[in-house]
Parts: sequence; C-alpha cells; structure tokens
Amino acid sequence: MKSPPSVQRTLRIVVVNTASGAGEQAVAAQAQRNTALRIGLLESGYDIVASLPADIFLPERIAQIQPDMIIIDSESDARDVLEHIVIATRDEPRPIVLFTEDQDRTSMDAAIDAGVSAYIVAGLQAERVKPVLDVALARFRRERRLLDELSDTRRQLADRKLVERAKGLLMAKNGLSEDQAYQKLRSMAMNRKLKLAELAQRVLDVEDLF
Amino acid sequence: MPLTDCAPLVMASVLGLDEKYGIKLALSREHSWSGMRDRLIHGSLDVAHVLYGLLYGVEMGIGSRAVPMAVLMNLSRNGQAITLSRALAEQGVVDGPSLAAHMRRSRRRFTFAHTFPTGNHAMFLYYWLAAAGLDPLRDIQAVTVPPGQMASSLAAGHIDGFCAGEPWSARAVLDGAGITAATSQDVWPDHPGKALGATAAFADANADACRALVAALLEAGRWIDASAAHRDAAAEILASPAYVNADRDIIAARLHGRYDDGLGRQWLDPDPLRFHADGEANFPWLSDGMWFMTQHRRWGLLREDPDYLAVATRVNRVGLYREAAALAGVAAPSGLLRTSVLIDGKVWDGRDPAAYISSFAGARQRPVFAHGAPQ
Repeated sequence: MKSPPSVQRTLRIVVVNTASGAGEQAVAAQAQRNTALRIGLLESGYDIVASLPADIFLPERIAQIQPDMIIIDSESDARDVLEHIVIATRDEPRPIVLFTEDQDRTSMDAAIDAGVSAYIVAGLQAERVKPVLDVALARFRRERRLLDELSDTRRQLADRKLVERAKGLLMAKNGLSEDQAYQKLRSMAMNRKLKLAELAQRVLDVEDLF
Repeated sequence: MPLTDCAPLVMASVLGLDEKYGIKLALSREHSWSGMRDRLIHGSLDVAHVLYGLLYGVEMGIGSRAVPMAVLMNLSRNGQAITLSRALAEQGVVDGPSLAAHMRRSRRRFTFAHTFPTGNHAMFLYYWLAAAGLDPLRDIQAVTVPPGQMASSLAAGHIDGFCAGEPWSARAVLDGAGITAATSQDVWPDHPGKALGATAAFADANADACRALVAALLEAGRWIDASAAHRDAAAEILASPAYVNADRDIIAARLHGRYDDGLGRQWLDPDPLRFHADGEANFPWLSDGMWFMTQHRRWGLLREDPDYLAVATRVNRVGLYREAAALAGVAAPSGLLRTSVLIDGKVWDGRDPAAYISSFAGARQRPVFAHGAPQ
C-alpha cells in the first residue's frame, strides 16, 4: 500500500448519485437523501471532489479521481457497479460508505462487520457525520495494514518454498550439496539481476518443459 | 430481485403455498445484488432469489468477506440472453463468430455488460465470447450495469452488448436498441439459474422452515410450468410495480418461450425459462455448483483451486432438498452429478474439475488479472 495521506490533507470524497429508472417516487426520495448528505458533508468541512452519476463511466471516473472514500446510498441499484470496481481494484481498495434510512443499530454493526466501512444514517446531524467518517477511515487503514502484513508473510513463505524446491532439483540433477546448490542459485540470480525466488521459479519452469 | 425469474417466490406467496407448509413469506424487493448479499449476511433477509454464481463467490470470499452459504434449491433454468447492439447488427455482427471476425478487423475497444462480477450472466457472457475465440480478459472491457439500464446503455452506444435476464433482454429488442445474439440455453442447455440461497448459519438453524420453503417453491414452480394460462397469470402479477414493474406483454412473451431476435426471426423456443420441469430444474446438482467455481477459477476470480467437490457438497443442501421434494411429491434424482454439453461442445460432468479447467486453452493460471479475490 502507498503511504497513507497526511492527516492535514483534505479527504477526497466522491458521492455516487443514483440513476433514474427505479420509479419516480424512489428517485425523488433518493435525491432528497443525497442533498441532505452533501449538506452534512460540506458542513463538516469535507471536500466533495465529485458527485458522480451512477452510469457506465463510473469506473473510469473513479480511476481518474482516485478518491479517498466513496459514499453511496445503500438502496441504490448502482451498488453492483461499485462492486465491480471493488473486485477490479482489489489491490488498491478504498473505503466505501453507505448511507441509509435504516435506523437499526444492529444491522449497521453487522454490515460494518461484513466489510462495509461505515453507515451514515439519513437525518444524522451534520456534527455527527465527521466522527463517523473519521472512524471509518481509521478502521479501513488498520485493516489494510493487517491484510498487507498477512499477504507479505504469505508471499515470503511461498518464495521460500520455491527456493527450496529449486535447490532440491539442482542437488538431485547436478549432485550438489545443499550449500553448493544454494550458492549456484544465488549467483545465477545475481548474474541475471533477478530475485532469488524469481530465478527459482525459472529453474522449475524449465524443468517442467522436459 | 425484480426479474421474470423471481416468479416462484411471488406465486408461492400469491397462491398461499407458503401457508400450506406452515410458513409465511414476507417478500422484499431488492435494488442490487450487493445490497441483497449484505442483507443476507447480516440477517435482515433470511433467504433470497439470487444468482447461483454470486453465492459461490461469497462462499469463496471473492469481493467480500468469505461467509459460508447454502444453496437450498435451483429456482429456474434457461431464459437469459446475450444481446448485441443494433449498430453492430447493421454491420452483420449477429453471433459469436461474426463478432470475433468484426473485432479482429476493428481497432476500437469493445465494452460488454453483465449484472454482477461473479454472477451467472458474467460467466455465461465470458463462456460465449471464449467459445467464439475471444478472450474476455483481454479483448473486451467488462462492466457491471443494473439490468434496468441495459437497454438505454445499449441505445446510447455506451456498451456493445450485454448478458442479462428477462424482461431486460426482450426490452432491448423491443426498444430497437439491440438484437438477441444467443439465448443462455444456447450457451448451456438447461443451465442452472437463480438459486434459493441463504447463509449456512440460517439454513442450519432453521432446517424445518427451509424444508417448508423449498416444498412451497417446488409447488409454485410446478404450478407455473403446468399451463400457458398459469404463465399468463404469473406475467400479469409480475408486471405490477410491487414486483418487476414492467410491461405485462414483454414479460409474458419470453415466459412462454416466444422469441423475436430483432432481426426478423421469431420462434417458439423448446427450452425456455422453466421453473420445475418435473423437478429436473430444481435439484441442487453438485456439478452445477462446481461449474461456477471452475469458471471463477478460469477467469482469475479464484486464485487457487479449491477442493471443488468438498465445497459444493457443503454448500448445496441435497439432503434437505430431497426431504422437501418428498413433502411436495416431487421426484428427486438419486445421483449428485449430471452431464451437460455446452456451446463449445465440451462435456461437463463434474468428475474432474481440474482437467475441465485445463481443457480451456489459454485462459488458465493467468497470474495477474484485474479481477480477483482479496486474499
């Protein structure tokens, strides 16, 4: 993960608007909630860099803007568009915040537990929006750090397995001792400017050809 | 979900079949698959009419935290479609081979839409493209679009084609925005469709209610399949704003298997959307569940091979289904795997998932892909 943005920097927040088509009444209700949310965000001192329509260009616009946080109505049919972005950019995840009319505290907690970064309840006072988002962001960053650490550890383990297998192969084929095999892998890697694990993978790939 | 194939849930409720088995259905109209998934996971929905592939995506933790899921039955088969834009059709692009030839000549980027990254429509679209010699990861841009917006996106030229359920594919043809290039039964005859899904925790804790629900939905599917008059009645009810909120005639046409491809060809499909087919359409075959995992693996959504059979065995509740089928007087097959032949002539019988995936040239073991599971 890239280094976290400094605390002073304004957060870049994108609000996804809901497209029409779900019935006029529902659209009007969502538009009203959208407006209330934007006012709340602005009053809390957040910078909304864009208010994007939930259309076919949403993924491209999000890729261009690189927001720190995305806010979308939990009832919007555009949530699946966002889901596509979540899976397509899984290596650069960003917090997604839902806002909702659902006042049920337990379902919010459960949703957050299931991976949503935060819930904003419609009608929430402006001064409460900021702490909710701050907690969401802190939580998201902590989870990212833990996941990054986990994947680093997994990669190291996988690399070590590769080197062990390549070493075993050299020992068996060339009658080398373990230490000799390791030194040979190391010098081959240095000559080719490769990481030890990359070189090991190549040795194993070549073996697979025969 | 507001789609033609939610009919068994709606009809079970309307006909009072739920109460016959001692349960009461409280239907909730959902707006997105993601929202439905979240509500299933946190328990504000108990059971859902949901994309079969999505349930396996959640089970395997693709795009969200992995949560053990349960497939209680298959609710429908066939009756989805792949639609190409009218603009492409006017250049002679009307099927997979002509699309592939056109794309090889053209330099621009082609965009195709489906309804959910791990869902049935994405997997059928990718399968169809690959069968025509196209690589869905390299040759096209794939996007997710809510089904109700497919026809307008196509008309506006934002997408070149899409794979979705009804009535949205028929709607695109009727609006003049696109043509039906293939039905989903062309891609996989008698493929599984929406499943009845729940979390494993709910299914375990409420086995009696789940059994009653499966029995009620078997009866509802049997009722819809029984006659054209029943399908007309179902179309009438589904058209209501409370359910699909679309024109009755658009829903009815393809529900009856009456197709119009937008190019002047009209036919009565022998294998249209079906909800029962004497129970053949409802059995939760382990091979069906495994198929979605093989395709998730094929396209890099799964980064490693799971124990396909073990996962399908724990997700698909075959035992519970058999008990429910006995309650509803529906015959259930004795096996767990079935044999299917897909559009590219490949045979899928569930016996060797790894060999099946290897048989698809080129696409396997792609290490880096923009889609995939955060692991």
